[in-house]
Amino acid sequence: MIRIAAVGDLHYGAGSTEILRPSLEHLHDRADVLLLAGDLTRCGGPEEVKVLADELRGVQIPVVAVLGNHDYHADHQDEVRRVLEDARVRVLEGEAATIDIDGARIGIAGTKGFGGGFRGAHGSDFGEPEMKAFVGHTKMLSDRLERALTDLDADLRIALLHYAPIEGTLEGERLEIYPFLGSYLLAEAVDNAGADLVLHGHAHHGAEKGRTPAGIPVRNVAQPVIRHAYNIYTLDPGRQLLPAAAGGIS
Amino acid sequence: MSKPRADYLPEAIREKLIHDPRVAEQDLRVEVQEHRVMLGGNVASPQLKQRITEVAKELLPDYEVVNDTTVVSAAEPESEEPVS
Repeated sequence: MIRIAAVGDLHYGAGSTEILRPSLEHLHDRADVLLLAGDLTRCGGPEEVKVLADELRGVQIPVVAVLGNHDYHADHQDEVRRVLEDARVRVLEGEAATIDIDGARIGIAGTKGFGGGFRGAHGSDFGEPEMKAFVGHTKMLSDRLERALTDLDADLRIALLHYAPIEGTLEGERLEIYPFLGSYLLAEAVDNAGADLVLHGHAHHGAEKGRTPAGIPVRNVAQPVIRHAYNIYTLDPGRQLLPAAAGGIS
Repeated sequence: MSKPRADYLPEAIREKLIHDPRVAEQDLRVEVQEHRVMLGGNVASPQLKQRITEVAKELLPDYEVVNDTTVVSAAEPESEEPVS
């Protein structure tokens, strides 16, 4: 079995030191890869992400991340990404990574995603330029996600998002803010391309478990939802695993 | 900008807490009764909870601040979930 550790919405900043580190020390005994579902910082400051990057440097398994809306707030998202990549964290935006784990290829396609709402109540790119830009951004990121997932050559495919792809994992949130929490376009992209698991964050008051309309499992790993340093999901890659880990991200 | 009416005070506080870089939390509940501000929601650390109290007191020095936010555990999970 492949063991996926995942968490989102860590919101690191000054004073966050040591929050996660004790739980990360033995992570390599429990999981094969760590996936981070965005909102890694409080305000997107490079000095904030350095606190997290220092804790992630000690992690002995591959780490893959997407950024979240908080990571864009200071307009330093490129530097945030650089700081993470310097700590050997692979950051995805409309891209994919494959990891070789004991002879099985694990593919991860990632995007921050964006909002708009859900089926029957989604915003349209119609009217003011601001509305066109809002929905257009979601459409662009969903299209890139679908392409990245489709192009993956892997035994297991995982979609890593920040915004939610379905309403099911928003239960507990106020209905009025659903359009700011996610978009069905992300689920449609995943259902068109196919995947084994979808992970997202962003919905702090939502529910952990749901499924896309096509039945693909979705897990909201926002830290306030899972109430642990991370959760671990096991998936069968559908092939015999080799006895020794090969490791490495391509 | 004019001082917010009492009806709009909770939202004004919520906005201030979102934009204060010491807090930057979008999910805090804010209620105001008489001269008492009550704060709820989840926070990542005891230090952040303390900072939220300090920032709220700076914003409303004449109000009592009741910080009922919950510090979320960052412990390791006890078990795994088989997905497939």
